[in-house]
Amino acid sequence: MENTVLTPLGQSCLQSLLKVWLDFDLAMNQVPVVKRLEQGRLSLEDYQTLLLNLRQQVIEGSRWISRSASSFDRDYSDVRSTVIGHSKEEHRDYLLLEADYVATGGKLEDIQSATKNIGSEALHGFLMYRATQTNPVDLIGAMWIIEGIGNKMATRWSKLINEQFAFDNKATSFMDYHGENDESHLQELYNLIDRVATSTKNNEDIVRTAKVVAKLYQLQLEEVDNA
Amino acid sequence: MEVYINSTGRYLPGKAIDNEEIETVLGLIHGKKSRLKNKILKSNGILTRHYAINQQQQTYISNSEMAANAGNICIESSYLSPSKIEMLSCATSQGDLVLPGFGSMVQAALNLSEVELHTSHGICSSSMMALKAAFQNVKCEDSKNALVVASELTSRLFKNSRYEQLESNEVDFNAEFLRWMLSDGAGALLLENQKRPTGTSVRIDWIKSFSHANSFPVCMSVGQAKNEETKTWQDYNSYAEAEKSGALLLRQDVRLLDNIVSVGVQGFLKLIAEGHVDINKIDHVLCHFSSKYFKSKIFDMLETAGASIPENKWYTNLYERGNTGCASIFIMLDEFIKSHNLKAGETIFCMVPESGRFNCAYMHLTVAGNE
Repeated sequence: MENTVLTPLGQSCLQSLLKVWLDFDLAMNQVPVVKRLEQGRLSLEDYQTLLLNLRQQVIEGSRWISRSASSFDRDYSDVRSTVIGHSKEEHRDYLLLEADYVATGGKLEDIQSATKNIGSEALHGFLMYRATQTNPVDLIGAMWIIEGIGNKMATRWSKLINEQFAFDNKATSFMDYHGENDESHLQELYNLIDRVATSTKNNEDIVRTAKVVAKLYQLQLEEVDNA
Repeated sequence: MEVYINSTGRYLPGKAIDNEEIETVLGLIHGKKSRLKNKILKSNGILTRHYAINQQQQTYISNSEMAANAGNICIESSYLSPSKIEMLSCATSQGDLVLPGFGSMVQAALNLSEVELHTSHGICSSSMMALKAAFQNVKCEDSKNALVVASELTSRLFKNSRYEQLESNEVDFNAEFLRWMLSDGAGALLLENQKRPTGTSVRIDWIKSFSHANSFPVCMSVGQAKNEETKTWQDYNSYAEAEKSGALLLRQDVRLLDNIVSVGVQGFLKLIAEGHVDINKIDHVLCHFSSKYFKSKIFDMLETAGASIPENKWYTNLYERGNTGCASIFIMLDEFIKSHNLKAGETIFCMVPESGRFNCAYMHLTVAGNE
């Protein structure tokens, strides 16, 4: 991959973000449903419940991205363009989750009528709140975490699930989708980091939001077993 | 109190064994050449190693004797007489005896009197645990010096006859994997509370480790058969039964192995964030990585983040001396110090990731001089 040379502040921001990601990655191993998935003890019901829970957050996930786009003012119009592109790309991801759910034998009306779990509520609420602030550059930290999870799903979880179950039709399209264009997404993130990691204050905000999003995402996964 | 490594030593048994000769020493399982061997050797990059067993698979030097040899070489090139050694701290993943502790056997072999004794048990990082115990002892002025020895004799686990005991007759990948990775040897370090005017004195700045056993399943083990959830080797009616079921084979769950990379990097970034390491001030990196295969997306990111250390600063003797488990880092330090003309103030960053159940140890050293 052709690396964009990051500025010193951008590098320091990426370094901190990488640490937040690795801390989160370790913490995820403690989440019961993730533990079962990683250790090959996931039941079909578990996978269905996971899809059902993820869908409720994902269907509204693009809302915070679109809203944050509109919160960037004229000084950040270039960032706004990137964010709009991102939002357009992902705002129908929930359809993949629904298709996967049906492919596992679930009923479409069940996944469509379910509600958000407690963690998803908190995550969605936090993201919508941040997205409403003027020039919410810290949301790059949120994108970093969400992108990281997408990558983990595509490169690891999908493989594990397909090893464990034999579905007639592809039932991991949501997870796999996030592996495609991974390199270009990463490059896009690097560009964004370079663009907004222009002060220590911005870096602190970005890292803090990454930490909050990681924690709330963890809560969302924990709540999969309580839904 | 500053603590210095003032002398080092290593002992590698017999002649160097190249890739072609491995099976003449370890033996052919059911008389057949391994189909995995070349693939695994290609990925770990190891060219030669040493074994403490001969071509009849008989042990010709014990683990504690190897440890004592390395210890003696270390003492002989130091300022100390053996009678002045105050502490002996040892590590191995498997001693010759199950009990007593490995340290007792090494002490007897070295004939050291009335030392304070410590044995740490584990896999690759156990040497760092033994070193830390010794470092702390000298640091808090309980001892003026300490000899630290790490030694491994894993080839005994890799004899063809071991695999041939399996009732199922089937050697799975995870059980065979380490046969082409690990070999035998010992390394020793002598710590003192003062630097010495000749030879190289290296100050230990700190030793830290982070274990993640609560987050991951077992990745490298002896004592449990494939697909066995609860029963371990001593739970069988006889040891023969345990061996037949495969509970005594050294196993590596290769699917979990990738996690060692993120665990290692997570700790590294933590040390940077806490101000223990300044990447720009590291002159040499000695990392006990088990094979060439140690690259990943995370490393690309580290590079982008300006947190990677240029390749020309990395030193290893893995490819010539083999992967000797917990002894590796000491064998590496010994050869590194002896083969480099180190200058006062140069810094050495050591890292020992252990895949057993994911522990990663780090150490920072500074070459001492006439400051």
